Amino acid sequence: MTLLAPWALWFSAVAAGVVALYLLKIKRRRQTVPALDFWRQLVGQTQVRSLFQRLKRWLSLALWLLIVTCLILAIGNPVLSFGRIKPQSIAVIIDNSASMQAIEQALEEGKTETRFTEALRALNDLTTRRPVRDEWLLIDAAHEARVITPWTLDRKSIHDGAAAIRPHGGTADLSGAAALAAQLLEGKKDPCIVVLSDGADGAVEKLAKADARIAPWIIGTADDNLGIATLKVRVHREESMHYVYVRVVNASPAAVESQLVFEADGTTVAVEPLAVDAGGEWEKTITFSQPNGAVLRAWIDRADALADDNEAFAILPPIRAAAVLLVTPLAESFFFEQALTAMAPLVDAENSRTLTIEEFDAAAASAVSADLAIFNNCAPAKMPASGRFVFVNRWPAEIPAKVNGLLERPEMVLTSRDHPLMRFVSVSSVALVKAHDVTLSERATILAESNDGSPLVFLHEAPDRQSLCVAFDVMESDLPFRNAFPVLLRNTVAHMVSEQSLWIADQYHVGDVITPLRALPSDVTAVDVARLNQTGVNEARTAVERGAFAYANTASRGPLRFTIGDDIAYTAVNLADATESRIAIVKPEKTPAELLALSDRLFGTVPWLALAAIAATLIGVEWMTYHHRWTE
Amino acid sequence: MASALFDKDFLKKLEYLDLIARRLVFGRQQALRQSVKKGASIEFKDFREYSPGDDPRTVDWSVYARLGELVIKLFRQEEELDLWVLMDASGSMDFGEPNKFDQARRIAAALAYIGMSNMDSAGVTPFTSELAEGRGKLRGRGRVFALLDYLTGVKSGGKTDLQAVIRAFVSRVRRPSMVVLISDFYGLETARQAIDQLRFFKHQIYVIQMASPWELDPPIRGELRLIDTETSGHEDLTITDSMLRRYKQALDKFSAELRGYSMKYSIGYSLARTDIPFEEFLLKVLQRGGLVA
Repeated sequence: MTLLAPWALWFSAVAAGVVALYLLKIKRRRQTVPALDFWRQLVGQTQVRSLFQRLKRWLSLALWLLIVTCLILAIGNPVLSFGRIKPQSIAVIIDNSASMQAIEQALEEGKTETRFTEALRALNDLTTRRPVRDEWLLIDAAHEARVITPWTLDRKSIHDGAAAIRPHGGTADLSGAAALAAQLLEGKKDPCIVVLSDGADGAVEKLAKADARIAPWIIGTADDNLGIATLKVRVHREESMHYVYVRVVNASPAAVESQLVFEADGTTVAVEPLAVDAGGEWEKTITFSQPNGAVLRAWIDRADALADDNEAFAILPPIRAAAVLLVTPLAESFFFEQALTAMAPLVDAENSRTLTIEEFDAAAASAVSADLAIFNNCAPAKMPASGRFVFVNRWPAEIPAKVNGLLERPEMVLTSRDHPLMRFVSVSSVALVKAHDVTLSERATILAESNDGSPLVFLHEAPDRQSLCVAFDVMESDLPFRNAFPVLLRNTVAHMVSEQSLWIADQYHVGDVITPLRALPSDVTAVDVARLNQTGVNEARTAVERGAFAYANTASRGPLRFTIGDDIAYTAVNLADATESRIAIVKPEKTPAELLALSDRLFGTVPWLALAAIAATLIGVEWMTYHHRWTE
Repeated sequence: MASALFDKDFLKKLEYLDLIARRLVFGRQQALRQSVKKGASIEFKDFREYSPGDDPRTVDWSVYARLGELVIKLFRQEEELDLWVLMDASGSMDFGEPNKFDQARRIAAALAYIGMSNMDSAGVTPFTSELAEGRGKLRGRGRVFALLDYLTGVKSGGKTDLQAVIRAFVSRVRRPSMVVLISDFYGLETARQAIDQLRFFKHQIYVIQMASPWELDPPIRGELRLIDTETSGHEDLTITDSMLRRYKQALDKFSAELRGYSMKYSIGYSLARTDIPFEEFLLKVLQRGGLVA
């Protein structure tokens, strides 16, 4: 037996006090009475003190000493290990993901108890049932793993640290937390990592299998949950429609029927009935026509254990025609201009221009900005930092494609027939006079290649740039390809030109830190962020330093509006994570007590409580024996 | 004479009690009592056949004239009745607040005064294990101060031996008298035997059981060494609520047995609580009758 609070032994002095009180008890107060015989007769006593009477006193003292011993041991918080529990260095990881906010039981007056609350209780149970010489580390596994309490022997600081953790509504980086714990356990004797989690849809089990030091403590029983796992928007420029893809997962072991409601700027625009099998998924693409854009809110009309995933937001961007910049020798411009003109309303003819390469290179970068730039038989001296480009027969040095020579009469073979850019593009009877023999030095999507494997049409994607390269002169190709090329160009405008903001992504997860995708203009010193919720607009200002900002107030779901200089960008923060929605747990083979060698229980409860109960019982016994004069 | 025990107020109360006693009890001027003996008086009681030696003056000649038989008339004998107050002065009586012994002395003085003022002789005799000389055969109110002085000087202490005391009393007082026995009566078996002796000698008996509030409801708890006031013997006890409950039950039973014994043999009985003023106690006793009626 180990005492978690050995200072309680100082209370042993109380035992001496009990003996002293017992001795004092012998010195009685004196009281004269008119007739003693009457009292003697009443209590049936005689002057003669028998051996049993003397024993009665010792029995009383023994009882009190036993009571004091039980109380001291109870205060000492003993751990009953019987030699099998050895001190360890234990890193405790608390899963602070959204699924840990699942309601496990409803309490009175509308209060509820979540898995996270149970995890805190489990932590308390763990620390109180381990030897006092254990060393502890507490890690909060939220969006990013962070150490809450560094290595310590003080359990109170662990408890205080855990109590200070604020519930997180997003995903948890459990593998990162485990890696952090493993790193911090280096050099420690008898290392152990305890993960207090609901299993994170099997992620914890995988971690435990990968690392024998990890002991999962699975928490929770609730499994009734229907959640939106995905909500994505794509603009169909040609149809002037928004395609919304939604995916719903059902974590419960029973089939669930409900309905999914869509609201655009607060107005219900669609209601989709849901019927999801047990543990299954439901997905659908729904079209909306909101040419001027809107904030889309999707919500499941059903209460369940986890409320966070019953709602998701998306931004429906306004749909507008693309401004195309054509850079080409003027003698070859007619073919391209005719192709672009035929794309109306995809292309905004008024804002589209044709330049020579000399004019392009001479102009300022802002003056030649466009949704798509087509370079035919020419390449800019310096490629713009961002944008969408089509390079025909020549490309700048920034494109990782080395030209080795010329291919004579190559045969074109489609390699990515299902790629959106190659939709309706037929090259079955295309005959090329010549093409560049290209070797790609970086990964790119080859859409068509020669019969000997040299890329003829390929798509290079960098973080801020997309470049479609054609490795031959279109004007020198035969008629079938010159018929096919406008289709390729239309696909390019339709799919590559995006309504996506240049500055931020269209969706973020709860807990993400929103940073700009590229450097902001130097004249932007602050970014105004507005949270668009049902109760109004909450404005906040974020400073810009060195062309970047960091907005971290993403603890809750909802649409956000960023005002960056003259531009306005919208984004949405969602949970939208199938792992979090799948809240049903898989019961582990071994209990935490078996995995972690926790203290044995005494009469089915923790030892200190059992000892306190024994002490209380003994006090009752002593009181009874005293009043029945079995003891004195 | 103006001790704290018998002050002026006490004397006033005595006179008041005397007046009440006269009205309630002593209807006649002189301290006449109807004796069970048949003797010479003006009150006819019965007829009896004449037998040689009878006083010829008692023959009822009118009966002889009608029936031709000699019968004599019997008259109720008039007789003085002495009042003896036997007062327990043992150590156990010197207990309680108000003190049992002080209260017993007041009651004894009051009874004696009532007896003296109604021309009966009265006497007060304290006792412990022995019967003291006491003050007996006192007649007339004028002797009251001597009695009070005597009672003031009586000290309490020592053990009680009621049997020996009564034995001494019946040998000292042969003529049947009214005997008021004031005591706490601890040791009921001994008391019964003593009272039986008084009954044997045809005394009219009245017992007054003294009890202080402390004895009736002892305000004690915990670890105590109980010391006997008479013997100085001690006993270590743990007084608990349940024990006190049993004590009260036993005390009630003790008093009930004493009262039951008294009723069985037509002996007057009263419990005198020391927290009740003596005059109030005596008033009740007088009104109820039986003590000096």
